[in-house]
Amino acid sequence: MSALSSQVLEEIKELPAKYPQPRSAVMPALDLAQEELGHLTPEAMSEVAVALQLDPGYVEGVATFYSLFHLEPTGKHRFYVCTNLSCMLRGANEIVAHVKQSIGVTHAEQVSADGLFSYEEVECLGACEFAPMMRLDHKYHYDLTTERVDQLITERRAPTPLTPTLSPGGERERKPRAPRKKKADG
Amino acid sequence: MAERRGSFGDQPQHLLYESKAGGYTALRKALFDMKPVDLTNEVKTSGLRGRGGAGFATGVKWSFINRDAPGPKYVVVNADESEPGTAKDRYILENSPHMVVEGILIAAYAVGANQAWVYIRGEYDEPSRMLTEAIDEARAKGYIGPQPMGKDYPLDIRLYRGHGAYICGEETALLESLEGKRAQPRSRPPFPAVKGAWGRPTLLNNVETLATVPWIINNGGAAYAKLGTDKSPGTRLLTVSGNVRKPGVYEVEIGQTFRHVIMELAGGPPEGRKVKVFWPGGSSAPVLPESMLDVTTDAEALAAARSMAGSGGVIVMDDTHCVVRAAHRLLKFYAYESCGKCTPCRVGGDWAVRTYERILANQGSQVELDTLQRVSDGLQNGRCLCGLGDSAGWVIDSTLRHFREEYEDHALRHECNVGAVPANA
Ligand SMILES: Cc1cc2nc3c(=O)[nH]c(=O)nc-3n(C[C@H](O)[C@H](O)[C@H](O)COP(=O)(O)O)c2cc1C
Ligand code: SF4
Ligand code: FES
Repeated sequence: MSALSSQVLEEIKELPAKYPQPRSAVMPALDLAQEELGHLTPEAMSEVAVALQLDPGYVEGVATFYSLFHLEPTGKHRFYVCTNLSCMLRGANEIVAHVKQSIGVTHAEQVSADGLFSYEEVECLGACEFAPMMRLDHKYHYDLTTERVDQLITERRAPTPLTPTLSPGGERERKPRAPRKKKADG
Repeated sequence: MAERRGSFGDQPQHLLYESKAGGYTALRKALFDMKPVDLTNEVKTSGLRGRGGAGFATGVKWSFINRDAPGPKYVVVNADESEPGTAKDRYILENSPHMVVEGILIAAYAVGANQAWVYIRGEYDEPSRMLTEAIDEARAKGYIGPQPMGKDYPLDIRLYRGHGAYICGEETALLESLEGKRAQPRSRPPFPAVKGAWGRPTLLNNVETLATVPWIINNGGAAYAKLGTDKSPGTRLLTVSGNVRKPGVYEVEIGQTFRHVIMELAGGPPEGRKVKVFWPGGSSAPVLPESMLDVTTDAEALAAARSMAGSGGVIVMDDTHCVVRAAHRLLKFYAYESCGKCTPCRVGGDWAVRTYERILANQGSQVELDTLQRVSDGLQNGRCLCGLGDSAGWVIDSTLRHFREEYEDHALRHECNVGAVPANA
């Protein structure tokens, strides 16, 4: 039983032909895998490697370099709160504190007890004129206030119960992401 | 239409005109009335300089590509925009994506490429959607395809999404990433013009740079050169953020003072506060204190002030904020984003962060101040493979140079005299 569905694996096998050299398919392939599973498990990375005829260590090396690939379970909804300078000058740290408190976690990448939320503090998201701002899942939210954060959380708690397709980390403690360069291989 | 904040400037509105799918007059002119070499020459005449950060002359860069070399050549568009304080490429992509598409097509024809790749940062969902729609529209109109506008010269544009790494904005790291690798910069030579994407000759330009091209082709390089200053012609988009009343993306004719940009266009600092310091060209541009608000926005004036025009991201900080804390935050950024390939950058960034942390925890002394200066020197002047190392060094160096006293308050006297934030908060 493979981690990725046969449909996704078929899609991944078709990717290399779309680029001048097949290796360029690795990130789009990891995207598909992450979309299906919520995060990249070792099994998923090794199946991507097989499908693309690459060394699994290579695939993991790529996955660990980029911050948008998640190697551990995340909440169903992910807050990416910008804390870089322009946002910090307009209250980003208070927003982070409020997000943590509201979803009931103590540190970045910890998943809330209901599996719905996790957060990360991220670097500049290129919307500094709307600081403080964040990306929630795939959408930017501007001019944040604690009230606005509450509203966004309420909207996501209310409508539908959590679909059980994700494996939330629950209250399990997790290590924060290791700095990218610590995994440098060259 | 995407949310906007800022203005097209009371000055010339050259860059942010609404280019619609019905337009593309510059592309038509380029394909039918001009030879590729004329296009490059027109851009040379305009004096346009790259808007990605390094400010290299765009026409000269185009001329480095041997149009007649056999085999594929590529245009790669840098839409990775991750420089702290910079949002103008997002603004252009969300508001005038056709202008970018048209610029890309003209550049491809000029340098002999048939395929362009836009490397866009992964977080830019909305800009990606806008650009994809524009490309689809242009394709439906027959401006992109095997015979654009009927011309026997195939042109195509595709997107490649980044996945969250500042270093991908550096051009050779971007190419590595596009090839499916960890984004670690390459040593040069060979330059991308000779050996770029997938080993082929490649023109690499920023979004704003290419968005400027249709105007230049429509109106002529000479008309563009009349705007701005002699050596830095034209208009550019400045992102003004931080402690100002009207943050936004403003198009200005180059050569205006920062006083005009910050105090007038962006409305100055909030009531009762004063500008303390500003970063004139993204977080990588050395800081300037309030006393230098009359420096102008051209590269030459900024170089004379020991800073740079960079990405046009103007970050303003007022007198309720602490310079040491701001520098600490930026060093955390550079340390985290270091790709780890060269030692001064990999190790220096962490050293700096730890040193700032000691200082901010009131455990500093003269030793910490000296350490910061030494780390900063070690990061600069070509000791690193790419500009990220220098940038980290400049943050330390320029804040120390202009705000020595604030550093000494923290490190030697263990106090923060700024008020808003206590030193050990
Ligand atoms: C660390 C680093 C980050 C960079 N980030 C960007 C970026 O996000 N966008 C960009 O266009 N250029 C960026 N650059 C500059 C590019 O390397 C390159 O000079 C530019 O994209 C060339 O295009 P232009 O000539 O049109 O400016 C960065 C450079 C360095 C050293
Ligand atoms: S200066 Fe830093 S980011 Fe640039 S190549 Fe060296 S280690 Fe990588
Ligand atoms: S600093 Fe937060 S979006 Fe740029």
